[in-house]
Amino acid sequence: MKPAPFEYYAPTSVAETVALLEQHGPEAKLLAGGQSLVPLLNMRLARPTVVVDVGRVAGLDYVREEDGALAIGAMTSQRTIERSELVEQRLPLLRAATRLVGHPQIRNRGTVGGSIAHADPAAEYPAVALALDAQMRVAGPGGERVIEAADFFVTYLTTALEPSDVLTEVRMPLLPGGAGWSIVEIARRHGDFALAGAVVTLSVDSGSIKDPRVVLFGVGATPIRVREAEERLAGESPSEALFTEAGKLVSEVIDEPLSDIHATAEFRRHLAGVMAQRGLAEAAGRVA
Amino acid sequence: MGGFEFPKSIDDLPVTNPKWVGRPVKRVEDPQLITGRAEFIDNVELPGMLHCAILHSPHPHARIKSIDMSRAAAMPGVVTTLTGEDAERWTRKSYTTPEGWGTYVLATDKVRFVGEPVAAVAATSRYIAEDALELIDVEYELLDPIVDAFAAAQPDSPKVFDEHENNIMYQRKFTWGEVDEAFAQAGHTYTEKFRWHRVGANPLETFGVISEWDLVEDTLTCRGSFQTPSYMAMGRAATFRLPSNKVRFIGQPHGGSFGGKGGGRGTDITAMLSRKAGGRPVKWIEDRIEYLTAGGSQAWDRHYEVSIAVKNDGTVTALRVKLLDDLGATAEGFGATGAVKPMASFTGCYAIPAAEYDLTLVATNKLPASPYRGMGPPPHNFVLEQMMDIAARDLGIDPAEIRRRNFIPPDQFPYIIPSGNEYDSGEYEAALDKVLEMSGYEELRNEQEEARAQGRLIGVGVVSTIEPGVFDWNAYTVIGTRGIGIPEGVNVSIDTMGKITARVGFALEGQGQYTVVTQLLADYFCVELEDVRVVMADNLSAPPNFGPGGSRLGVAITGAVLGAAQRLTEKLVKVAAKLFEVQPEDVELLDGELRVKSVPESKISVRNVVGIMLNRSDMLPPDVDPSPEATFAWTAPGRVEPDEQGRVKSYLTAANACHLVMVEVDPDTGMVEILKYYIADDCGTRLNPANVDGMIQGALAQGVGAALLEEYVYDENAQPLTASFMDYLLPTIHEVPMPEKASLVTPSPFTPLGAKGAGESAIHTTPAAIMCAINDALLPLKVRATEVPASPNRVWKLIQDAQQQ
Amino acid sequence: MISQRDIRLTVNGVSYEGSAEPRMTLVDFLRHELGLVGTHVGCEHGVCGACTILMDGKAVRSCIMLAAQADGADLMTVEGLAKDAELHPIQQAFMEERGLQCGFCTPGFMMSIHELLQTTTDPSDEEIRDALGGAICRCTGYESILKSVRNAAAKLRAST
Repeated sequence: MKPAPFEYYAPTSVAETVALLEQHGPEAKLLAGGQSLVPLLNMRLARPTVVVDVGRVAGLDYVREEDGALAIGAMTSQRTIERSELVEQRLPLLRAATRLVGHPQIRNRGTVGGSIAHADPAAEYPAVALALDAQMRVAGPGGERVIEAADFFVTYLTTALEPSDVLTEVRMPLLPGGAGWSIVEIARRHGDFALAGAVVTLSVDSGSIKDPRVVLFGVGATPIRVREAEERLAGESPSEALFTEAGKLVSEVIDEPLSDIHATAEFRRHLAGVMAQRGLAEAAGRVA
Repeated sequence: MGGFEFPKSIDDLPVTNPKWVGRPVKRVEDPQLITGRAEFIDNVELPGMLHCAILHSPHPHARIKSIDMSRAAAMPGVVTTLTGEDAERWTRKSYTTPEGWGTYVLATDKVRFVGEPVAAVAATSRYIAEDALELIDVEYELLDPIVDAFAAAQPDSPKVFDEHENNIMYQRKFTWGEVDEAFAQAGHTYTEKFRWHRVGANPLETFGVISEWDLVEDTLTCRGSFQTPSYMAMGRAATFRLPSNKVRFIGQPHGGSFGGKGGGRGTDITAMLSRKAGGRPVKWIEDRIEYLTAGGSQAWDRHYEVSIAVKNDGTVTALRVKLLDDLGATAEGFGATGAVKPMASFTGCYAIPAAEYDLTLVATNKLPASPYRGMGPPPHNFVLEQMMDIAARDLGIDPAEIRRRNFIPPDQFPYIIPSGNEYDSGEYEAALDKVLEMSGYEELRNEQEEARAQGRLIGVGVVSTIEPGVFDWNAYTVIGTRGIGIPEGVNVSIDTMGKITARVGFALEGQGQYTVVTQLLADYFCVELEDVRVVMADNLSAPPNFGPGGSRLGVAITGAVLGAAQRLTEKLVKVAAKLFEVQPEDVELLDGELRVKSVPESKISVRNVVGIMLNRSDMLPPDVDPSPEATFAWTAPGRVEPDEQGRVKSYLTAANACHLVMVEVDPDTGMVEILKYYIADDCGTRLNPANVDGMIQGALAQGVGAALLEEYVYDENAQPLTASFMDYLLPTIHEVPMPEKASLVTPSPFTPLGAKGAGESAIHTTPAAIMCAINDALLPLKVRATEVPASPNRVWKLIQDAQQQ
Repeated sequence: MISQRDIRLTVNGVSYEGSAEPRMTLVDFLRHELGLVGTHVGCEHGVCGACTILMDGKAVRSCIMLAAQADGADLMTVEGLAKDAELHPIQQAFMEERGLQCGFCTPGFMMSIHELLQTTTDPSDEEIRDALGGAICRCTGYESILKSVRNAAAKLRAST
């Protein structure tokens, strides 16, 4: 199928972008790499009357370390992240997550900001953002502001961004030295959206687990942080039995998961626990 | 045939050292394909061409109360529109078999499946045509959808077709031999139910067509990605009540078909749009969503109940198969023949003396079923092979061993199976032994034991199957097809420079048959491959032909080429005989020269003889016309009508394959990983071994898809849920194993050069083998996977249920 | 009425100027406006990979890009591989290893492989699978494509 007609603008600055979005209101749609939006346009499932392409906005393509975080320009391609030495050395979790995003041809066009703003609950980046307490820097009609990851993902394909907001930067805090991390997922085929996945980070201090984070993706309407499991883990000594127990707890406490042709809610509930357990084991194994 | 003696083997060709046939020569098709120059249908632009878009029904079952095309017709860029009224006026209802279960190509009274064409527009671009669809106003009165095959088969079910008594398209029980007696006397009987969900072809190129209706001459010309252009042309002539020589079909190179290219509706719709647009050419390129929901995409929606009778020693004495096949809304797509084809290899590789087939085909509000590679036996083989394993487990016999005990022995060929088909030749035990040896079977079983001791779920499947080759219409007489024999023709000519041209009726599709034709002619006349060219002839220029289908074309075109070459040689011989002043029977063709048999130095090249024919009428014998060309159409010998139980010699060849696969099932996720894969394949003489290898590997990938990934899903309201490649999962390079392969060669005694049909290949075997392996892995849990595909959700649920017991 | 957009881009070293509605996809622009029909359309939703081309050296799916997004870009398509009658090593390898059957997906595969071999001269099978995992071939079962990549890599290494 072919897209329905729309007007197209290619602003070159953030301010111009915000102004265009303000002018056209909710009928306008922001186009970043287009790897999610253009298929929807082609199927006429998304029908904006105005498309604002931020591909020519200067200065949104960078990765740098600032104040204990990686500051990533929203239009930085996933491929850039995958190949960035800085990311590999300072935040290998992000690199590992990137390798699970689609395929190289998708990552060449797909952007960090596009993925996070699209907020597909089965996508990897939103889960990583939530696990790391990332901060989203947003430009809007009222100026710049920062939205915490915990407040950003509202529901299925919906974020705290207002119609005239532009996500400009994602700040991903670095993990503390020696912390372990993991991203695991299960998909029908390599590169498909996950049926369920988990991002796990933790530290071990004097033999006990400190600051555990367990975030699920592909399970609910947003990435889900499982605090019950984190509380169960904190202060405990890492062990296979503990991780199995934490996995079971994850399966028990989460809200009714999504159900689709690839996995029933019951199966997703189970997989969520398995992914959490496997993620915990892998993260613990990476603790230095 | 016609007194022709076909060479039985490559050594019998008129060349001392064959250089091409039997070797993996490079394909003549490739240069245009790898440079992007092949003329796929969407590459063709004609002057004044319009673009068609089709409005598909969003409802599975609804009465059409009104259609208002006025807003769409008024849109700038729209040239004409079409509805069911036009179809009713200009066409006949379309169906294949069984007879009478058809509709017009655009819905008239009611819609019967989501995706059924309701209206169409022709506009100056596809974009505008799609915009116009949004301005068509259709008022529907919703009816209850019929989606469950068992419910649909009940007498009180709502009906898909009001004019039929019920939804049963076909019902018949075939009994071959003393089945009841065998079950009564058997030491052991086993019964199991199975479910095979819809899968389908999905060639990377969807269907496409450009139709032109010349209003003055009342002729129709269609260019398109037709698997069988001549056959499609005949169908259109019937549909439009046109004289058949006024319908011209030009096959374009196309991006695969696998039986499921579809295209009848799109061709008819564009033809009528062209007629309404004053004869301007109208193009329609089916998009992927249309292909998946409304095209030739779906096959084999089957519910099985299967029983076997087995003696204590593992000898199987009878097989009963009860099949309910959901053909969807109409019988337009040849889906029904797929349920009948298993009769050509009903009892597999086994000497099972008695069998019964209780067959019910039912209509529902799903997409009409189409053919798909293998055309029906792959699910049948899946159920038969599961039953062999079930018996083996219960009797404590190794799965490889129970197969060995039941194989048809080599000295029994040609062998007639209970359902009537004749197998030409085979060495089933040798293929099994080869696979066992390659895999180190005993060692695999040891590995499996160790893994099981550690709680891992590892399984081995070993399966032998038949691929019926060289399809014939008589295989389907019982369901209403007409005719016996399928001629495949070629015209071969040699020009004054000695260059050879072959004209065939089929286009490039992927199998490499133009290469096979080239190899055959190059060896026959002892020239280089470059000296031969194969061209596609349209249906009005080509000799009788069908094209690829039913693992038939390789054998059939070989017969045609050898027949034409022989006929042409007879002419050349006469000219040479006159030249040398001997009798024609004293002259032979050898190594590209016509020689006097008793005087080897009296010889003349083929090229020079052709030169004489074309340029020296004074030297021509009186009974030879100056035409160095010949046409020959081949059809399988010895085909007749079926008897009263449907028994018939239908498919001419029986290729055999033995697959061994080792899998691991992850009990926590239900994921199946293929660890090892081995294949021994015997399709007789391999005319081009690289072609055959490509068929095996490609069909293996499709088998992996069918076993683990692919499934067309409908919800309880008959809405399709697999409308994109995000949800219909084709295997990628990550999912397909790279097996170790061996070839055996048991030539067919019935075919030219001893080749057997080999095009459908491993899809016959792979799903059965993978499912056997999964069930072997699950054995310690005492559960059995009986549903295909074995998705992670299904496998996990089985394991869950086992653990909760 | 939506206004047309002017689009200037370079394909296979040749500059083109054209105009298109904003909604026109890049693959439709290449095929139907510029006549470069070697790039094929298999799904129009970014899954099958048949439409893969190189944009500024990177493999991208031209069915899920708007032509307007490629304004100013340097593109390469299958038509840019062979130099007159001389086939590119990737094309030669596909012929030798039977990397194609129907050939419809082949141009897309070759462009992904082109990107891979620019950066990875001696790829492992894992790297090859990674580079090609987003492309579907329904004919070959991938074995011969894997071999084609190995063969092409060896040819390219030998030529430099």
